Amino acid sequence: MTSPFSLCILAIVSLSLLGLPIGHAMIAGSIFYLLLAGQDLSIAAEQLLNGMYTNYVILAVPLFILAAELMNIGSMTERLLRFCDALVGRFRGGLAQVNIVQSVIFAGMSGSAIADAAGTGRMMQAMMTKDGKYPASFAAALTAVSSVIGPIIPPSIPMVLYALVSDASIGFLFLAGVVPGLLMAGVQMGIVGYAAKARNFPVELPIPMRELPGITWRALPALLMPVVLLGGIYGGATTPTEAAAVAAAYALAISVLLYRSVTLGNFYASLAYSARTTASIGMLIAGALVFNYVVTIENIPDSLKILLSGWNLSPLGFLLLVNVVLLVLGCLLEGTAILLIVVPVLIPTAKALGIDMVHFGVIVVVNIMLGLITPPYGLLLFIMNNITGVPLRDIVRECMPFLAAMVAALALITLSPGLVLWLPRLMGYPG
Amino acid sequence: MRALGGWLARRAENVLVLMLGAMFAVFILQIVFRYLLNLPIGWTHEISVILWLWIVLFGAAFVTRESDEIRFDILYGAAGPRARRIMAVITATAMVVLYTLSLPAMADYVTFMKVERTAYLKLPFNWVYAIYLAFAVAAIIRYLWLGWQALRGTAPEAFDPTKAGSGV
Repeated sequence: MTSPFSLCILAIVSLSLLGLPIGHAMIAGSIFYLLLAGQDLSIAAEQLLNGMYTNYVILAVPLFILAAELMNIGSMTERLLRFCDALVGRFRGGLAQVNIVQSVIFAGMSGSAIADAAGTGRMMQAMMTKDGKYPASFAAALTAVSSVIGPIIPPSIPMVLYALVSDASIGFLFLAGVVPGLLMAGVQMGIVGYAAKARNFPVELPIPMRELPGITWRALPALLMPVVLLGGIYGGATTPTEAAAVAAAYALAISVLLYRSVTLGNFYASLAYSARTTASIGMLIAGALVFNYVVTIENIPDSLKILLSGWNLSPLGFLLLVNVVLLVLGCLLEGTAILLIVVPVLIPTAKALGIDMVHFGVIVVVNIMLGLITPPYGLLLFIMNNITGVPLRDIVRECMPFLAAMVAALALITLSPGLVLWLPRLMGYPG
Repeated sequence: MRALGGWLARRAENVLVLMLGAMFAVFILQIVFRYLLNLPIGWTHEISVILWLWIVLFGAAFVTRESDEIRFDILYGAAGPRARRIMAVITATAMVVLYTLSLPAMADYVTFMKVERTAYLKLPFNWVYAIYLAFAVAAIIRYLWLGWQALRGTAPEAFDPTKAGSGV
């Protein structure tokens, strides 16, 4: 166990555990490997720079982050909430259903679960806990859980990252997310419906039907966003990367021209936040590019393929194994890191077993999303704890029924490629 | 000294924001030219890729704070100030040693790339890639500073995952 590669892994793991940012840990660990293996140290810079320069698709990441930020500064979110309230507020547990429907619509505009939770979390929490309508812990858990839908329904930043490591088509990946995303929403609405009866959640004052056209009209520019975005991609008008830019421009245009809610100050703040986030994800991508060179040189994916074929795993057995591994890792690690470091190692085996790369991508992304609400390391749990002040333990407890149901939905997604690939095939996916 | 540092940090953020704004604008320009005017242009593609590279490396070097970066905090988050100081000294030493050792080779590579030019704008690649050297030098200085702080007795700040910029 003293090969350069095992020492490199040891260095990366210990440096990360000691608190070094993961991107830096991967670059430093890979330099350490090159040093031990007697290779040219400049390979690290070459891999990093050429990798960042030639992977054009990653440019969608900063643009989708910017689009989500621009939506959050406009009053788009408020208008959408009002619209969802008019739709489903009248049922028992209505506000809780509003939270989920709102997430589905938001999912069609933004590619980040974190942005969804941060954008609507505070407002949703205030609405749900006003006059003690809902327990604060339930409201916080529900916002965390419903935000998970965001990157499953297109657009999706994790899917862009998956496309980067797997060469699967972003367009078809996006389409494949639609049915699983709606399935997740359906499962959550079912649980809310049950809880509403069991815990006697309140009914909202129904908004009169005659107000619905007006409310819809006011929310229309926001509701049209998914149409603009996805229509652009599937109509063949724009590449997914350009569609991300169009989404940001559209969000900016309606916030400035129609809703008049943007000041120069908050425009600057959104750009600054997006740029910082871009730099921090970019560092992880940079580290992964260098480290993946080491992994490839050492033939790790192929060794894993040979090892696993020795186990005579069926494709289904492999997928179930992947689910378990990713769910466990999701409890401990940040999602982007799993996508960029662990998933590339699994892809050759998946390919060799004849698993469809788009189906595999959806399974991976759903797993990563569930990782955001599994303790101890669940980013959405931290965000909601931060926004609402509800103790983590209480949020986690309320998340559990949802989590169990969503794992069941994940099993269904894993078992039935036909369900996932139905929409892409309808639009001409050959797989 | 502190005031100057703060001023420089704000200017660095201004530059980063300008780069992202420019990347956004260039994309819009590209779409307008290709689809509305039917005049496909290649240089926009090139500028946006260069900006992406620079946003990441310039941002990581001069703008993002330690707390913005994605980390693995199972141990680090649970550690007390004293343990965090020791951890910071170890990681800082590893970073400074490895980045410094590799710097000459990286500089050679970047200088060597002057023989190649970008496809549309004909920019020599050593200019485009020079940001890596700025990034590496900034990282070395930053970790020297963080290690020195930890040695002198100031524990690094605790990690706050909600501040880290994760795009998922």
